[in-house]
Amino acid sequence: MLTVKELSKNYGDFVAVDRISFSAGKGSVFGLLGPNGAGKSTAINCIAGLLKPTSGHAAVAGHDVVSDGKAARSNLGVVPQELALYEDLSAIENLRYWGKAYGLSGQALDGRVTEVLEYIGLNDRAKDLPREFSGGMKRRLNFGCGIVHKPPVILLDEPTVGVDPQSRARLFDMVEAERDAGACIVYTTHYMEEAERLCDSLAIIDHGKLIAQGSVDELRAKLGARDVLQLSGHFPVEPTKQAISALIERGNADLEFLAQEEDSITLTLSNASQHLPTIFEAVAGTGGNVTETSLRSPNLETLFLLLTGTELRE
Amino acid sequence: MSFALTSFKKDIARWRQDYMATLIWLAIPLLTGGLITTLMGSDVKPHGTLLLVDEDQTFLSELIVGAYSAGELGELLSVEKTGFDEGFERVNDGEASGLLVIPDGFAVAFLESEPVTLTLRTNPSQTILPGIITNVTEILLDAGFYAHQLFGDEIETFTSMTEDPSDAQVAAIAVAIQNKMETVAPRLFPPLIEIEIVEPPPKEPTPPLALLFMPGIILMAVVFSANGLASDFWREREQGTLRRLAFTPARMGEFLIGKALAAAVIVGLVGGVTLVLGFLYHGISFTRLPTSLVWIALSGIVLFAWFGALQMLFSNQKTASVFSMMLVFPLLMAGGSFFPLAVLPGWIAAIGRIAPNGFMAHSLTLEITAAGPWSIPLLSWLTLILAAAIGLSICGWRLRAGFART
Repeated sequence: MLTVKELSKNYGDFVAVDRISFSAGKGSVFGLLGPNGAGKSTAINCIAGLLKPTSGHAAVAGHDVVSDGKAARSNLGVVPQELALYEDLSAIENLRYWGKAYGLSGQALDGRVTEVLEYIGLNDRAKDLPREFSGGMKRRLNFGCGIVHKPPVILLDEPTVGVDPQSRARLFDMVEAERDAGACIVYTTHYMEEAERLCDSLAIIDHGKLIAQGSVDELRAKLGARDVLQLSGHFPVEPTKQAISALIERGNADLEFLAQEEDSITLTLSNASQHLPTIFEAVAGTGGNVTETSLRSPNLETLFLLLTGTELRE
Repeated sequence: MSFALTSFKKDIARWRQDYMATLIWLAIPLLTGGLITTLMGSDVKPHGTLLLVDEDQTFLSELIVGAYSAGELGELLSVEKTGFDEGFERVNDGEASGLLVIPDGFAVAFLESEPVTLTLRTNPSQTILPGIITNVTEILLDAGFYAHQLFGDEIETFTSMTEDPSDAQVAAIAVAIQNKMETVAPRLFPPLIEIEIVEPPPKEPTPPLALLFMPGIILMAVVFSANGLASDFWREREQGTLRRLAFTPARMGEFLIGKALAAAVIVGLVGGVTLVLGFLYHGISFTRLPTSLVWIALSGIVLFAWFGALQMLFSNQKTASVFSMMLVFPLLMAGGSFFPLAVLPGWIAAIGRIAPNGFMAHSLTLEITAAGPWSIPLLSWLTLILAAAIGLSICGWRLRAGFART
């Protein structure tokens, strides 16, 4: 349904998207993960036809987004991160307008607008203006406007930013319903828990490059069964590195350094709780001290840390 | 072109929700026009009061009082007799246009050709009426001088009499005066001056000033509404709908045409209200209304397109809005919304007619003051159509070149 091949977008010398390739099929949710500024939005804008790629290709439902842009856009529904609604048009007028923008008319438009109003739960508020709606209702209408033409491919660009938990849960339900109805959904986010819940497969992007790609399980497997141990306190940089390296050499082969700063170090290793005394001893030997310990199971957040050395939400 | 119609309907529906802006676009020109028309269009003549202190109380002093109250002068001035102190105080307080003091012994001095002083004090805060009073007083004094020159002997005979004149003496004086009048009459009635009457070239009747103001006032409404509607490009961008539109297969050109048509209808309605009121007030034939309305709607598209193109060149809505407002007032000033081009000096009017709204107002003036409808030259129509096409093309280019995408 959606194919991206060697897609690049440069602004002068700056490479915003660097030869990324992925594909997403019918009835699936594909997650595009990465911190702010990683290149997600640029990639989405290229796929949506808003930006012309410097090189590479993207095709929506078999239509190239550059050479056959109109057909590609007809098959694509975009739900932008920010609300994009006419506050001075009623909910039904908004849906009708965007439906017409996608080429719907007549009975097809009437039927689909009624269907979407029901679907997003605004049937009884159809003639009210969005400026009278709560934030969650506006989000649902924003979603409805993106899918009013029943597109086979839907791009959701960080749809839950600034959304309350209740509306977020409602949005997840709608995404899952669209997927179950056969749509191919591309979901960009920097919330790992969302990706873990919704995505069948995903790609992690950083500095414009895809650094990992696969199903959630495949990506988790990259970490193995290792825990993530984060120690807070004071840690002299070089001595701490040497002490941890010494531990690895002494037989803790799956111990790995994820990140180190003066006030925290992050490690990954199997059965971390059993190794805590050894690690504390090593840290104490460098003159450092531990004030707080955090131990968590491996997740995509950890994977991102492992791959990039930085927290995803930075 | 079906999306152009959708875009048009969308903007009309949105405009219906924002009627306050329309009221403001209408209120400012109507208020300005109403004030100007009241000031320029009224027939009220100036009227003042001449205070007169008659210390002489003679037949001659009464004659002077009568001279100020006679004929058309009487319509401009009310002569009110008063005492010296009161009169002096009132004219100082600005309650009267002037104070004339006829001193005791004025008649005797006049008849005996002795110097006498009339005191005239005028109100410095007024210009026209005190000027008239001064001129009339000077004319009266000149008339007295010439009467002395002409009838000096008779006056002397009359003043030298110690007793009341007999009928025979009165008759003799009357005959003498009659004879002198007969002598000078051929020169005075009519004056012995050869007059060549030159007919001035036929001049087109000048429309009343208040009527000349009307097109400028209507264009003020058009400029305000077109500028307000043009800011909708930024509003659409800020609320993300322009970007969302760029994701759809709809053509940006059709979207723009729909917006321009909506602007034409809204400006036509706003301008139409001012037009109808102006037509009713000035009694202009309603056969001119359709042409005037089409001209205004087309002018609305041109101004909407150019204001829109200009606003889209700026990097943020605030700067765009401030700049366009800074442009609006000089435009209104140059284009004759505050002073009709017809009453301005030629070179200023020429500049004004180059200003877009000045050109539009000038052509509208032609339409409403000419002998018949459809008086705007074809070239003016073509100029406006070309200006609309260029303005909309620039808007389209800006929308496609990134304004809609960010």
